Amino acid sequence: MRITLKVLNRLALVLAVLAVAFPLYWIVITSFKTQLAISGQPKYIPWVDFEPVLDAWRWVLLSEARSDVIRAFLNSFIASAGSAAIATGVGAMAGYGLTRFKYRWGPWKNDDIAFWFISQRMLPPVAVVLAFLLMFRELNLLDTRLGLIVAYAGFAIPFAVWIMRDAFSQIPAELEESAAVDGATHAQSFIRIALPLAGPGLVASFLFTFIFAWNEYLFALMLTFQKATTVPLLLASRITSFGTQWDQLSALTLVNMIPAVALGILLERFLVRSRTQGALK
Amino acid sequence: MASATDRKASRVPRSGRRPERGTRARYARIFISPATGAILLLTIFPLVFSLGLTFLNVNLFRRIPIRFVGFENWTRLFNDSAMAVTMFNTMLFVVVGVAIQYVLGFGLALLLNQGFRGQRGLRVLFLTPMMVAPIAVGFIIGRMMFNEGFGPVNDLLTSVGLPSVAWISSPWMARLTIIIVDTWQWTPLIMLLILAGLQNIPDEPIEAARVDGATPWQIFRYITFPMLLPVSITAILIRALEAFKIIDIVRVVTGGGPGRATEPVTVYVFDLGSKQGDLSYAAAAAYALLILAIAVSLAFLFLTRRLNARYT
Repeated sequence: MRITLKVLNRLALVLAVLAVAFPLYWIVITSFKTQLAISGQPKYIPWVDFEPVLDAWRWVLLSEARSDVIRAFLNSFIASAGSAAIATGVGAMAGYGLTRFKYRWGPWKNDDIAFWFISQRMLPPVAVVLAFLLMFRELNLLDTRLGLIVAYAGFAIPFAVWIMRDAFSQIPAELEESAAVDGATHAQSFIRIALPLAGPGLVASFLFTFIFAWNEYLFALMLTFQKATTVPLLLASRITSFGTQWDQLSALTLVNMIPAVALGILLERFLVRSRTQGALK
Repeated sequence: MASATDRKASRVPRSGRRPERGTRARYARIFISPATGAILLLTIFPLVFSLGLTFLNVNLFRRIPIRFVGFENWTRLFNDSAMAVTMFNTMLFVVVGVAIQYVLGFGLALLLNQGFRGQRGLRVLFLTPMMVAPIAVGFIIGRMMFNEGFGPVNDLLTSVGLPSVAWISSPWMARLTIIIVDTWQWTPLIMLLILAGLQNIPDEPIEAARVDGATPWQIFRYITFPMLLPVSITAILIRALEAFKIIDIVRVVTGGGPGRATEPVTVYVFDLGSKQGDLSYAAAAAYALLILAIAVSLAFLFLTRRLNARYT
């Protein structure tokens, strides 16, 4: 009985690993296949079923398509890093405020205000994207990186406020109090003391909001058409067009996934660390 | 000018109900204003703007004089068969999709909480799908794995003697495919939240139950599961609210087809706005989605509060 349970347990784990890992393996090998090896009967093992080639990677990194690819990556990077930096900065200020001061907005106190921020995440982006389109048309922000930065920052701020509030609430206020005794202003103790201590929170906030913008599709689709198009748009347009180049798409997708995998590794560290912290309490 | 000791005392959070005063009040405002301003400008204003649109007849392509049409766009929603179908699809993806993701995510969290070698590597692997762009996930799973021509899934099915499946071209199978793709991407989120909840459960009650001879099933049924109920409710709610927004995956995997079989409200709204240019009606449809999401969330919270009360 006990042994069957254990076997079932491990079997479930192996199945789960296969379900997650096999599609990732599949896309890696597809990026090394020829079009001929892709169509027809599926080929599973390189050098056994098919001869791997570098055509797709040469196309992504070296061909004339490179300029499109580079531009999309540059746009994505600027929009993501810009919006993540703004959201994290603004979020850190609000998070600090919400943990160090007492607010009253009518009947609302700090917790209600924090909830108001996070509740903005409920809103389906499609409900406001049309309003953005009309606004951006008036402001000449359509098809610009600045427009994307502004739109993405707006969506990322609630999340950044939430993370930073959590980060500052774990930092004891004593250090700032003694700095105040020595005559430091609120601005000084925020920048010199609280922010450096909240380093991990800042990193987490930046990474999450970065990935959010990096993966975003709907706003980019609606608000950009040529100059400022991002990687998800590049991918989607290639996927839905006829005569799909599966190998090239696989290579592009893999490059697109690099920041995601990096964040996965960091997040796991974070999870382990918070566990040991809990043990100390 | 306050003395140093006064200022020190003022840093300690006060228990009174008074808001901040003087310099502190000014700093308090400075710290929160950028975030508040950004939300008012970038979320609340567009939302009010969209509400205004629903009472007008704004069209992106046709140059017609803009006039007030009252509730015309709202009443039109009720006679729109496409709206009914897309509402049904959205609810299907939310209810069935999130239910499957919850069960699988809970199971995975239990499996990963046992402590074994290679656990950390596995956690990274299981967290990866939720970091990948939905567009990419739609491509990897929906277009590659479940490809009807050369996908490995149909190949594996036929190799064990099962018939190959029309994953994309048959309406109900296409709906299932969308749910599978969404599940591949978002089960890790549920797993992550439940795993965090599992690690906060104290060992004592489980140890005590084990000493008293409780079976693993009894421990799960009467201790672990009830203690994870609050986390479960939060996890399901977060996931459901995201599921109402599903759009990228559908656009890449099926494009909403065959017919409208896999088209959620979001895709319908987007097409109304971008293809027909009917911004006012699209705004009304988007508001219908928002109202549906809020109503379902409130109903869910109401039902689970009673469940929670029965357990604790």
